[in-house]
Amino acid sequence: MVRFLKIFKVAFQSIYKNRTRSLLTMLGIIIGVGAVIMTISAGEGATMEVENQISGLGTNLLMIQTKSEHKAGINVRMGRPIDHKDLEVLQKNSVWMPRLSPLLAIGAQAIGPSGYKSTMVYGVSYDYFYITSRELQSGNFFTEEDVRTAKKYCVIGETIREELFPGQDPIGKQIRIDKIPFTVIGLLTEEGTGGMQDMDDIVLAPHTTIQNRLYGHQRGYTMIMASALSEDHISDAKMEATALLRESHQIKAEDEDDFEIMTQVELQEITSNITGILTILLGAVASISLIVGGIGIMNIMLVSVTERTREIGTRLAIGARESDILTQFLIEAVVLSLVGGLLGIVLGVIGNQIIYRLTDFFIPTAFYSIVIGFCFAALVGVTFGYFPAKKAAKLNPIDALRYE
Amino acid sequence: MATKKVIETKNLSRTFNTGEIEVRALTDIDLVIEEGEFVAIMGASGSGKSTLLHIIGCLDRPTSGEYYLDGIQVNALNKNQLADIRNQKIGFIFQSYNLLSRTTALENVELPLIYDRTGQFSNSMALAKKALEQVGLADRIHHKTNELSGGQQQRVAIARALVNNPALILADEPTGNLDSTTSFEIADLFVQLNNKGKTILMITHEPDIAQFAKRMVYLRDGRVLSDTKIEHRNTKTEALKSLEKPLTTQ
Repeated sequence: MVRFLKIFKVAFQSIYKNRTRSLLTMLGIIIGVGAVIMTISAGEGATMEVENQISGLGTNLLMIQTKSEHKAGINVRMGRPIDHKDLEVLQKNSVWMPRLSPLLAIGAQAIGPSGYKSTMVYGVSYDYFYITSRELQSGNFFTEEDVRTAKKYCVIGETIREELFPGQDPIGKQIRIDKIPFTVIGLLTEEGTGGMQDMDDIVLAPHTTIQNRLYGHQRGYTMIMASALSEDHISDAKMEATALLRESHQIKAEDEDDFEIMTQVELQEITSNITGILTILLGAVASISLIVGGIGIMNIMLVSVTERTREIGTRLAIGARESDILTQFLIEAVVLSLVGGLLGIVLGVIGNQIIYRLTDFFIPTAFYSIVIGFCFAALVGVTFGYFPAKKAAKLNPIDALRYE
Repeated sequence: MATKKVIETKNLSRTFNTGEIEVRALTDIDLVIEEGEFVAIMGASGSGKSTLLHIIGCLDRPTSGEYYLDGIQVNALNKNQLADIRNQKIGFIFQSYNLLSRTTALENVELPLIYDRTGQFSNSMALAKKALEQVGLADRIHHKTNELSGGQQQRVAIARALVNNPALILADEPTGNLDSTTSFEIADLFVQLNNKGKTILMITHEPDIAQFAKRMVYLRDGRVLSDTKIEHRNTKTEALKSLEKPLTTQ
């Protein structure tokens, strides 16, 4: 142990006495570890953002859709579309779903007095605002009466206001959606940007109006949105909806559902899967830079072995064993990678802060990314340090002493 | 006074196989060096001096024959054992000093003790200081080697060879890189160390340096040509005086 400490001291002195070379050697590791930490953290940040948005939709949300299947890369609807009959069945019989709203999604051009924008127009009922717990910063929601009488009213998001009414109060103004004039009666509170989609790039209108004016020839709804009585009753609500719809669709016991019910929880799982893959992918790309850094260490260590051939010869002549030389060079490589790893962590954390300051995109520095980065640095040090160390230890002392 | 054999070789031979040609570097060397001797080995280039030094220094092994160092049969040992023997029994001095640059004299002298496995040197710094005092560098302990003159660097190297109190000091052309005056000072240092009982084996090209020793072994073509006691040993004063003579009278 004392001997190990002595050799450790020798290795450390050697690093210190060649500060510039040591720093250059570490540079690859510093950048590699920093990149790993920053990319993994960015992935985590994106995941968090998306999850926040999804839970912002309301945690007891259910979405009932026609069953669709991926065929040749596109979604193909299978079975009977979800329509007003289904909605009526659920409204009449449901115990666990107090709020239900149809949703008719349609991509359209919204034109205002000072601009236009391609956006998503949603035909919904009054309950939609409860289900998604969206709030207004000014104006009003449309009422159940407005829905029944198919009023040409709409509620718009902040992004639409910025495009169509820059610097103006939109309430009471008219916009045209596919040539149909709508009166803006409400402006939604900002929900935030980022993640999957802009939650403020949205126009809400009574579903009856959308059905009549814009959606005419199509049958059914895009989906029915519902909220369970509470978060604990989501699975009850899902079972109830399944039973009611199977009955009304007259599906035989042995046949499969011709609709899909997605809950908030499931939606969250799917997106976290996707963002998880994204994080791994980013981490893998960053790891490549770490490996490149490791090769850099190996290169410089190899050069250093050649450069220090006489020193190694001297050490061997005065009684160092091969294992002593191996240990010394290995320690040098590992210390360089570990110090490089530590500096890389500092770089990564500072980098995250800089990005946060510049873009407002919050990146939580994931603790496990630090662990991964550091372990990887150590591994790289041992792996790429071993070969040059072995080469140094295997030098023939006679040749090494003669080396010029 | 000497009775203990520090070096004993019997029929020592070394051949090198370079492809198809077999080169006999050493043939049937029988050499005995007893404790307290100061031996100079001379010979032309290619006479086998270096090969003999490498074998005696346990850096190389003989092809045939036996070699005993301080009573230990060395030719049967493995690499690690040889390393330990070098560490415990031999102090190396090289022509080009082979010191670690950007490192203090003290740290350089401590170096052999780092690799000591016997645990007999508890206070390596005190030992290193003592060795530096022995070679007259007490005031240069904390100087870095690149701040020292050639002669001073060789003194540091000699201190490094002394620090582990070896049975044998092996010097390979110790004055080869030094000017005449400094060479004589170094040779004189060897004489002083020898007077204190150190056994020294020195390879040299320079006859006036070899004359400082007690005994001279002359090699030619891998064999011992002559092995004689030096009757009239050179001294520092005489050697320096000879420098003042004009070249023509020599």
